[in-house]
Amino acid sequence: MTTAKATIHRLATGVQGLDEVLGGGLPEFSFNIIAGPPGCGKTTLAHQMMFALATPERPALYFTVLGEPPLKMLRYMQQFDFFDIEKVGRAIHFINLADDTAYGDLEKVLARIVAAVEQHGPGLVFVDSFRSVMLAIQDSGPSFITLQQFVQRLGMLMTSWQATTFLIGEYFTDADPNPVFTVSDGLIWLRQSAQRNSVVRKMEVMKMRGQASLPGLHTFRIGAAGIRVFPPAQPALRTARQPGARLGMGVAGLDALMGGGLPRGYSLLVAGPSGSGKTIMASAFLAEGARCGETGVIAAFEQHPHLSRGETVAGLIQDGRIGVVDTSAHNLSVDEVSALLVAEIQRLDATRVVIDSLSGFELVLAPTFRDDFRESLARMVSALAGTGATVLMTSELEDRYDDLRFSPYGTAFLTDAIIVHRYIEVDSRLQRVMAVVKLRASAHSNELRLFHIDAAGLQIGEMLTGHEGLLGGRPTRRPPQAPADGHGH
Amino acid sequence: MHHGLRGIQAALERLAAEDADAGSVADAARAAWLQIAAALSPIIGRQGVAALYRRSLHLAQAHNPALAAAQDDTAGAADFSALRAALAGQTSGSAVAANNALLDTFHELLSRLIGASLTERLLGSVSDAPSTDLPAQDPLP
Repeated sequence: MTTAKATIHRLATGVQGLDEVLGGGLPEFSFNIIAGPPGCGKTTLAHQMMFALATPERPALYFTVLGEPPLKMLRYMQQFDFFDIEKVGRAIHFINLADDTAYGDLEKVLARIVAAVEQHGPGLVFVDSFRSVMLAIQDSGPSFITLQQFVQRLGMLMTSWQATTFLIGEYFTDADPNPVFTVSDGLIWLRQSAQRNSVVRKMEVMKMRGQASLPGLHTFRIGAAGIRVFPPAQPALRTARQPGARLGMGVAGLDALMGGGLPRGYSLLVAGPSGSGKTIMASAFLAEGARCGETGVIAAFEQHPHLSRGETVAGLIQDGRIGVVDTSAHNLSVDEVSALLVAEIQRLDATRVVIDSLSGFELVLAPTFRDDFRESLARMVSALAGTGATVLMTSELEDRYDDLRFSPYGTAFLTDAIIVHRYIEVDSRLQRVMAVVKLRASAHSNELRLFHIDAAGLQIGEMLTGHEGLLGGRPTRRPPQAPADGHGH
Repeated sequence: MHHGLRGIQAALERLAAEDADAGSVADAARAAWLQIAAALSPIIGRQGVAALYRRSLHLAQAHNPALAAAQDDTAGAADFSALRAALAGQTSGSAVAANNALLDTFHELLSRLIGASLTERLLGSVSDAPSTDLPAQDPLP
């Protein structure tokens, strides 16, 4: 049909997270620029996409211009897992243009590129680094064609030859309205953002014609496998909750206080002072899941996670029934942890997730992300809810007896349920009490219950009757009176 | 070692064994180097090849003083005429020995930089073409 619109195929880039940020993949035959200061990962990004996409039928041409000596580029790039030496010379051809650019004659450079394109019929073309071309013509005085003409002709040529093209360049400021940017269909900007002593890599898709890319700065990491981009955690459109189903907490008596357990798909915040037993409660939650044949995932941010988890959970981790998200990397972002959690949940088909603790989580974040901790956390909780998993998060809560607080970040509204631990002084002893503060859309107990921790775990006791002012930390005895109603909403 | 380079070395040794004169050995050696440069230049640039060659000459000279004269090649992009001249001044046996040592050094240097596998790939087309089959060349300046 002649009226049909052109179909733009979107190529999978092979860079984890990038297709999502680009808005569904890389548009075929697009003319793109990868820009950013030195060391930000431009060449790595280009190579990773090239090795993923190039085939002997639709090979890639990688033109190196002055810039980085090709020998060094090959030396370092082959360290990445994606660098498949078998493809070099078959699906991927490296071509050095240094001898042609040395005289600054862009016509000659263009002719060399055209000759190579006609010879190989590539599906992908890379020119690295483009800034070198610009500098070369600046040094050599006026050229027969201007840079803009060069880029326009290159762009037209590549699109006609049905080659998806990337110009890789060092551009130091995005404020500079470089004419090259106007010509391009896509503009991917890489940065290293420094704040205090931390440096975080960020990617921005400033332009991607014909599709809705995800706006904003997205963190990425470069590891042995190459680049991994962490798109923002997507809030779930609907949660996969099954009404009525409840999960056991693994602590005797706690389910009863919660009106029969934690509703499936809920997020629970366990807040309390240091040493109150939050991690033990989290471990019991995971162990109970394993007892019921469920799998779990844990993201631990404590300094000695092995000490506090206990033997049961350690054994389950060893058996592969509980997955552990690696939180040892420096300068984490909430989106990164969120992506790792979701991936691990999906890998294990996990139903229970523990984040222990939010306070430790905040400490490992790069300073640049701390200001947005609450917003990112809200996105993460929503994304986790989207997986259908039930989430337990712990949070350190400074004991303050002059006000009643349940979370240090104003995060209380984020979660569906809250359990608070507190220390109180009774008869010159430090005792622990807990209460179910909130359980959305469910009846729950309003009792403040004593509890203690022994070798078997967390043991819930009775209410401390005959006292009042427990939350003030120093309860006083009050005269006996009729017991109050034990349930509220 | 790349099979093509090994083939080149073997072919040169055959030449020497067949009592060829040093001039023929030198011609064959130069042809081999031009072939190597032709394979690598499009990928790493003429300057890149010249730099590797210069370093190889420097390293190989320690055991083959005859190669010292070949340094003249390295002023611009190497066309290996100084190497040819240096080899032609030797006995054919020592010309082969010097050139083969230079080839070994060059191969080892490249392998250290970009790894053995990639070196094999990049040198892919180089082979022990007969010495009479010299590629067309620009007249020497």
